[in-house]
Amino acid sequence: MTTATQSSSADRLSVAGIELEVVRHGKGRPVLLLHGFNNVSPNAPFLQQLGDTAEILAPTHPGFGRSARPKDFETVYDIVHLYIELINGLPHERLSLIGLSFGGWLAAELAVKLGRRIDKLVLADAVGIKVSDRETPDIFDVFNKHPDEARARSWHDVANSAPKYDDLEDDELVTIARNREALCRYGWHPYLYNPQLMRWLPNIKAQTLVLWGASDGIVKPSYGEAYAKAIPGARFEIIPEAGHHPEIEQPRAFAERVSAFLKR
Amino acid sequence: MDAWFQTEVTYPFVPQDVLDAADSVRASLPNKYCDPKIAATLFDESIAEYLLCDELGINVVCTEHHAGINSLLGANPMLLAILASQTRKVQVMSLGTLVTLRPDPVRIAEEYATADVLSRGRLELGFVKSGLTEYASNQANPINNGERYWEAIDLISKALTYQDGPFSWEGKHFTHRHVNIWPRPYQQGLPRMWAATGDASTSADVGRRDIVQILVLRGPEGTKMAFAANRKARREAGMPKPTTDRFAYAALVAVGDTHEEGLRVGAKLLWFLNTSLKSAPQFGPLLPGNAPPEAAPGIYRTKPRPNAGGGGGQLSASANAQLLMNINAEQAMQRGILFCGSPDTVYEQIKKFYDTVGGFDHLAMVGRSGFMTHEETKKSLTLFGKHVLPRMREIKTVTAGFNQPDV
Repeated sequence: MTTATQSSSADRLSVAGIELEVVRHGKGRPVLLLHGFNNVSPNAPFLQQLGDTAEILAPTHPGFGRSARPKDFETVYDIVHLYIELINGLPHERLSLIGLSFGGWLAAELAVKLGRRIDKLVLADAVGIKVSDRETPDIFDVFNKHPDEARARSWHDVANSAPKYDDLEDDELVTIARNREALCRYGWHPYLYNPQLMRWLPNIKAQTLVLWGASDGIVKPSYGEAYAKAIPGARFEIIPEAGHHPEIEQPRAFAERVSAFLKR
Repeated sequence: MDAWFQTEVTYPFVPQDVLDAADSVRASLPNKYCDPKIAATLFDESIAEYLLCDELGINVVCTEHHAGINSLLGANPMLLAILASQTRKVQVMSLGTLVTLRPDPVRIAEEYATADVLSRGRLELGFVKSGLTEYASNQANPINNGERYWEAIDLISKALTYQDGPFSWEGKHFTHRHVNIWPRPYQQGLPRMWAATGDASTSADVGRRDIVQILVLRGPEGTKMAFAANRKARREAGMPKPTTDRFAYAALVAVGDTHEEGLRVGAKLLWFLNTSLKSAPQFGPLLPGNAPPEAAPGIYRTKPRPNAGGGGGQLSASANAQLLMNINAEQAMQRGILFCGSPDTVYEQIKKFYDTVGGFDHLAMVGRSGFMTHEETKKSLTLFGKHVLPRMREIKTVTAGFNQPDV
């Protein structure tokens, strides 16, 4: 049964009655791209490069960016089920998932639930699981720690890569604040992970690439290695000179690694 | 008009260089800086001050704040129990257990019912929305705080009044399948309820629910706006005009033999604003839910742009805090945050504020803070109780907003 209906609009998609902002780009194998702390910019250089290999659909999660959030939409469970509807409404028999950071958590949940429907899975600097002991947080607390430290941990080259709020337009700052509010709603507790997800990662059937920014201080590369270890056959690769957002800091390297993996 | 006393049991004894170096004096300042021996003395003194209020006829208020120099009252119900048990005459208010920070409102209802029994029916229930550093200290999601606030109050209210339990509660934020608290409250029906809030939307909720609204250190303009929103919501809901017993104001208050003495002691109370409000941006402006996303341009930029957006309207709690941190005694008196001086001049300041905002029946006095000593506090309370309170009592309950334009 298909309940998702796709509008003809280039930048909106209606799924189960929920209007989502979407970015579409490229030609090739179908890829659902799930964004991280911030929604994907249509002008992101990594998108342009990935578009040579893949037909990318990048929805903005409800409550982030310009996607509305239904009032009863409160949890990652809601987003995951929304994207199952979205995927069920797509014409492709199989598709690939790319999940960045918070979107990596969503992608891992979807890959567990959808089995062979997902042929390839890319997790980049993903959150979503608990790895270390109970007194060692795996994920830097972007809400309770100083914003300067969060910025320093997010980027390899803070001076050149971190957004400069003074230079951004009003609507861009409002979007950042909306994104932060949405992330807080969905990810506050337990902080950005599902205690049960690790238990189910071995059931993932998709070929998996776990990509990590070498300088990521939000979730360290060792966390990525643990992620890869839990998913059967998963490869783990490091992108040098990148922090938590390798797709932004090293767009070419990111796109090359992902394209090569998707073509394999 | 009546009066209430509160002290946050502040802890001003952390070296200034430590406070200067810390980005926040709440939530993240390590507790190695809190000497439990000093804390024990502070509690002894504060309880003695509360018991003095019992003799003077000043009602008592027990507040709650977490993990910082601004207050040692994280475990608010414990002090509440002591006051409920040891006072004999005055009303005892919890203002309040921070209901949105606690996972189970039924436990709060149990604590309240027990305190009401201990006091033999003198308990009043104040609810505070909480905020800022408190979310971090209690791992409470700052998003949805307002929803949790009212749902918790509804569940607590039912738990305190329902006598044919167990009953079940399966709400959006709280679930409990077996609510049946023992003891039930001493009072028949709900104890009088209060809400400490200043924003227009919650003020309207408070009006529609017909509970006492208390504004804390908001000054005349913010207070007038909040009271007006309250009255307007009541009128629109078809409720009768409220009387002044539905409104309250909390200010820093100090009384001396002379105006100068009161001024000197009152200036010490400003420590609460100047020193103990310091908190890092992640516990203030940048905390999700603290301000609507539309206010981001005014918050995220290090310098404002001309004609840029920035929220507008009422100040957010963190913007209000920023303003209070830089205030001096004269400004605080002008802004209606500090009432201090001799009994005569303090009364005049209270009456002036009363007239400016359209009346209120309850003045909550933050009567000790920072380096104000126990002796100074006792003297201030005694002068207030003997020479200010009797004159306040002559002000009778009337229609609220009696001198304000219709809303």
